[in-house]
Formats: sequence, C-alpha cells, structure tokens
Amino acid sequence: MTEMTSVTNGTMGRVAYARIAPNEDLVIGVEKLCLAHGFRNAFVRGALGSLVDACLGANDDKFIEVKGPAVEIVSLAGEVRSDEDGAIKAALSGVVADPQGEIYGGLFVAGSNAICMTLEVTLEEWLPAGD
Amino acid sequence: MTITRSTSHSRRRTLVHPGKFNPVRIQSLYSDTARHVRLALMPGLSLFDGLVGPLAEIGIHNASTTILGGAFDSIHYCVAPPDPTRQAVIAYGDPIDAGRSYMIFGNATLGRDADRKPLVHCHAAFRREDGRVKGGHILTERCIVGPEPVCVLVTSLDNFELRLAFDPETNILLLQPFEERDHD
Repeated sequence: MTEMTSVTNGTMGRVAYARIAPNEDLVIGVEKLCLAHGFRNAFVRGALGSLVDACLGANDDKFIEVKGPAVEIVSLAGEVRSDEDGAIKAALSGVVADPQGEIYGGLFVAGSNAICMTLEVTLEEWLPAGD
Repeated sequence: MTITRSTSHSRRRTLVHPGKFNPVRIQSLYSDTARHVRLALMPGLSLFDGLVGPLAEIGIHNASTTILGGAFDSIHYCVAPPDPTRQAVIAYGDPIDAGRSYMIFGNATLGRDADRKPLVHCHAAFRREDGRVKGGHILTERCIVGPEPVCVLVTSLDNFELRLAFDPETNILLLQPFEERDHD
C-alpha cells in the first residue's frame, strides 16, 4: 500500500536552463532535460516558448486542441517526479495563446505538444529529505 | 478553426524548418545553486527597465523570472502567425496595443542580445480593460507598470550566460546558454 503524505520536506539543489529544439515534445523534453543532468525530482521555475499546436487535457476526459502555428506558451508550471520504479514523469500545466492571442489552459498531454521554434525552461532540482 | 474539443486528439505535426537539422536537441547548462530574489517592478517604469536595472545592480545578468501579476498602464504585445516570407516557420506580427491591462501571469528570461546588451524575452497572459483575456509575446520596453509595484520572483543563472544567437535550423535568433562567464 502506498503511504499518503501531504507534506514532503526537502531542499532545492541545482538549477538547469535549457533551450529545447523544434519538434521535440514539451513534456518528454523536460523529462529528458532531467535525464541530462541526473535530476530525479525537479520543479519548473520558469518557461516560455512556442508550440506547433497545443493539446491540453480538459476536465471531462476530453482534449482541447489549439491550432497553430504558433501557439505561444505564456505560463508553465509543474514538476518532475521519480516513480517507485525509478522512472521519471513530468506533469506540466499552463496557459497558451493561439495565433490570434486567445488563451486556453490545462494539463499538457505528453507526446502531443511539439515545440515550434524553441522552449526556454529553467528547472530547479528538488531533493526530498531522506533520499 | 482554432480550437477543437473531443474525446480523442490528433497526431502531433512535425514541421519542416528552413535550416539543417541540428542533432543536438537540448542545449542545457546548470549551476550548483541559484539566488532567489523578490523584485518589485516600480510604478511608471517599463517592464524592461524595472527588471534589468535593479537586477544589474545586484550582479544578476541572467535569470528566469516569474511575474506574479499586477496592473500595467499599458501593455503592448504580438503574436506569431506563419511567416509569409517563409524565411522561418513563424514570424512575430505587428505590435498590438492592449492599453491599460492587468497582467495575470508572465514568465520572462533575462539574458543578452547579440551585442551583449540586456535582453528580456517575456510571454504573459493579461486581462484588458474590456475584460477580454489575451496572451502572447510581450514587448517589455513598451509596457508601463501601473500605480502599484508588481512582484516578480527571480531565479538567477550565475555560472553561465544566456545570449541571443543565430540558430541555423529555425533561421532566427534565439536565446541560448553559453559557458562564457559574464565579466561585467
């Protein structure tokens, strides 16, 4: 049975900045950035860039598809966590603007958000106490 | 149609850029630690000046920042539709004057331009006076902070620098991390 806790103590570690190239996936790209630097857990400290199109999860098990290019990322928040089996998984949500400046928000669907020109992202490593 | 909502989604598109594919897909550097600063953008200053000046005074020339929201006397922005000249996949359009607006949330990266002058790359969402919520690429030198200070969380990037450099694949200038230290 998995132990549920509402508070995890820890400290911040290294800080990585990346420019991720076009046609890479936003969510998986952030996971690969963690692999590149050996981060097991991390928080997004800032990000901006553009997507070809955006695919966001909606509340009702549906998907919101925002047509580009380019769909600008105007807000991105999220974390990368290690699973019990050691695999890492990014969960990123945010707000995007379409080519008319209209905005939409939600959870970015992994594998379905190709970067258009660039993604600038800063991750701060999270070191949970006891790890 | 800009938006669709359904129980399934389309396969993502892979666009063809004008330049040669770069096999290095993630350019990244790291620092062992970062400084965190709470910065107040002061009323009447441009977003650019409010960020760049105070951070330079404490030796921060490269940073990732989060604008936590606040009123602006004016916001100018642009969006990025397909480039009609086809020199790149997309190109920024003409500046749009959103007028007096409330910035809901923004991210701004501080680095250097090709001449090593300060550069701020900012995207944000904001609510205009007519209530419409919009977003895009923010023209920071043309955005004026309103009557109250606007809070910004700054994460410094101290052991490398971000510099605008030509990216052959996309055929545009992009902020990229470089090992060179800042000697200013």
